[in-house]
Amino acid sequence: MVFTTHIFLFYFLPLFLLVYFSLPARWRNLWITLASYVFYGWWEPWFVTLMLFTTLLDFIWGRVITRTGATPGQRRAAVAACVVTNLGLLGFFKYYMFAATTLNQLLAAVGVGTFHIWQVVLPIGISFYTFHSLTYILDLYRGHATPARSFTDFSAFVALFPDLVAGPIIRYKTLAAQLAARETTVARFASGVSIFVLGFAKKILLANPAGDVADAVFGAEGPLVLEAWVGVLAYAFQIYFDFCGYSDMAVGLGRMLGFEFLKNFDAPYRAESITELWRRWHISLSTVLRDYLYLPLGGNRLGPVRTYGNLLVVMLLGGLWHGAKWNFLAWGAYHGLWLAVERWRGKQSLCPALPRPARIGLTFVLVLFSWVLFRAENLTAAAHYFGALLGLTTPGAAAPLLAASLYTPHHLLVLAVCAWLVFQPVQAHDWVQQPLTWNRVAALAPLFLAALAAMFAQSFNPFLYFQF
Amino acid sequence: MPSTRQPQLCLILMFLALIGSVPLLQAALELAAGARPQALEVFRQKPTAPNLRRYEHDLTEASRVAGWLRPWAQYVLFAGLGDGGGKTLVGRAGWLFYKPGVQGLTDRPAHGSHTVEEAAAAIVDFRDQLQARGLRLLIVPAPNKESIYPEYVTRRAAGLGAVPGAGTRALLQQLAAAGVEVADLFALFAAGKTNATAPLYLAQDSHWSPAGVELAAQLVARRITGRGWLQTGTTAYLCRPAPIERVGDLLDMLQLPRTLTRETVPCRQVVRADDGAPYRDEPGAEVLVLGDSFLRIYATDEPGAAGFSAHLARELKQPVLSLINDGGGATLVRQELCRRPQLLAGKKVVIWEFVERDLRLATEGWPRVSLPPPAHP
Repeated sequence: MVFTTHIFLFYFLPLFLLVYFSLPARWRNLWITLASYVFYGWWEPWFVTLMLFTTLLDFIWGRVITRTGATPGQRRAAVAACVVTNLGLLGFFKYYMFAATTLNQLLAAVGVGTFHIWQVVLPIGISFYTFHSLTYILDLYRGHATPARSFTDFSAFVALFPDLVAGPIIRYKTLAAQLAARETTVARFASGVSIFVLGFAKKILLANPAGDVADAVFGAEGPLVLEAWVGVLAYAFQIYFDFCGYSDMAVGLGRMLGFEFLKNFDAPYRAESITELWRRWHISLSTVLRDYLYLPLGGNRLGPVRTYGNLLVVMLLGGLWHGAKWNFLAWGAYHGLWLAVERWRGKQSLCPALPRPARIGLTFVLVLFSWVLFRAENLTAAAHYFGALLGLTTPGAAAPLLAASLYTPHHLLVLAVCAWLVFQPVQAHDWVQQPLTWNRVAALAPLFLAALAAMFAQSFNPFLYFQF
Repeated sequence: MPSTRQPQLCLILMFLALIGSVPLLQAALELAAGARPQALEVFRQKPTAPNLRRYEHDLTEASRVAGWLRPWAQYVLFAGLGDGGGKTLVGRAGWLFYKPGVQGLTDRPAHGSHTVEEAAAAIVDFRDQLQARGLRLLIVPAPNKESIYPEYVTRRAAGLGAVPGAGTRALLQQLAAAGVEVADLFALFAAGKTNATAPLYLAQDSHWSPAGVELAAQLVARRITGRGWLQTGTTAYLCRPAPIERVGDLLDMLQLPRTLTRETVPCRQVVRADDGAPYRDEPGAEVLVLGDSFLRIYATDEPGAAGFSAHLARELKQPVLSLINDGGGATLVRQELCRRPQLLAGKKVVIWEFVERDLRLATEGWPRVSLPPPAHP
């Protein structure tokens, strides 16, 4: 189910809230689990059985790891088995077809017969809930968390519908206490509504129209230079407001239920360097990669060369986490290289002597280039797009017509609002921390109505991060 | 804080009222109409992915609130912000365009797409089947409006002239190489738009104007008679003015709450010179015209007897027979001909019109369609 659909907003959510607040506190986690399974199974009911299977397995592994009297060897074996199982399933569903296709291409290239490739359907959100489970097991192993009180608590944590399919990636230890006892107050619920409305508006009023512009340009046969820049700019806005909007909605829904999720974005396009960008963009993934990959690889403790290598490996795997495509690997490598360069220069921006706005602008341009790798259909298309950005390709015969789809008053207004918002120091998450006044209610109510009306006029447009 | 409690409560109540009232109102209206609330239908079917998709789609489509709000939201976007939604592109000087058609010109072909080759193969195969029956085939690709009038799409395309899509150019080349007769309306319209007293396409509609219809009919008639496929007939027709007011299909696609403007269309109705009766198709005609809505407009639509077939008949001085399938010029109309092969009886020439955008957007693709074997007398 998608947050920005009729069925979620007008059927699932009111019914869920009605039952949730009618139940005594001790039944609420069970209700969250059941409702989340309906939410998740809406795409494909059998996905639920897979999730239930891994949840059960991880719950048992967790018990084994924390069993009194377990030897270090047993604990190591249990955590290894759990990691292999989870990553094995994730790897199979997410990377099997990519690996098999690549292998077949290699076999064909050397003249060896190819083999049949099964069509594997990728369960939506598997990357997110696998990481949820893994952080639980790894934190138990490290002694950073205590085992879940019950299977109900654990399954509610894994399946929790607000953050289930597109994050933020939440660690068990962050929610453990809240799963046991959480308080729903009028202030918290209202704050949840506020940030939900802001996230909803970001998605419907900004990300979707920006996406129309990006889709038109990235799908075009040889756009002109200006259109190519507008296209990648629009994509930068689309992916930010789409993903940040989803995260805001997740945080808002969580808050309505009494949960507190961490901030996932912190004005990332205001970053002065790529290093700073990764402290501001998809913070929950960055911190998971740091704590469970970069630091175990040695972090920066094993000398500069190893540090650069670790950064590159982490970003390559971070790229691959987004999907089985060479584009994502190239995107990860691009970011890994810039992180290494900046680390070599002492975690500094590329041109520290420049004034701050120029440093932000330079970083933003570097990020735009990375979005070309991320968005293009394949590496060849990305190369063509880079050519268009630099004026090195021959525009398509009908390229000037693209202007009509891009420069409508609606799209220009949306891009202007996006450009203004992304560079604001106060973001939605911070805005709702401040007291809710009548003025804010007067702003939020029409915003929600406008977004609802626009939703009715738009075609179905799921969140970009669902595919990851 | 007491000072913020009231705004908080107000926001919560407003939010819950909004998300809660929509399903309640919907159920109340359905019950009042004596129907079972559609929301409950989910319990009456197996929870499979297709069933759930269909249920969600039906629920969304049936929503009264969405039905009330959608046209107004669309109106604000269109009238206030120049956005025509998913199907309509707002051009210059009040001209509207079919957005997927424009995208067809600007987009690169989908990876691994073989539509041009498939279309060429289907056309050549159809030509060969007709040839085996002793019939001639003339292909008439109707240009997209945006291919002929790019300058009305955007000011930046002012110098482009006419821009048939890359796929269209490739198809025309392949057909020429295979010896298929094609009436090239692209070149005709590109030259004709500067000379014509009226635009060759309607401003609010994706179809050609009466001027475009007449120009196309003249070219097709010249081609048929010039090739010696048919002798000019003896039935004299006249034209009489029959202006209409029309809501263009592109404006209609916007689904606005009210019609903003109607376009005055200076149609010319074809009538018989002898008795003044409006033109009518003749089953025994020697020419069969296959096509899509480009044939339907002004023919079965208002004012009648003013469409392509009528004007073609006037040029040929003999009636023709039309087989029209709206939106199905690529394949559906051929399939319909297969089901009704008797339409080919007594024919000498088949004219097959389809719109340029069908090269990418044809509903059924471009499969080969086998005509049934001819019935021997």
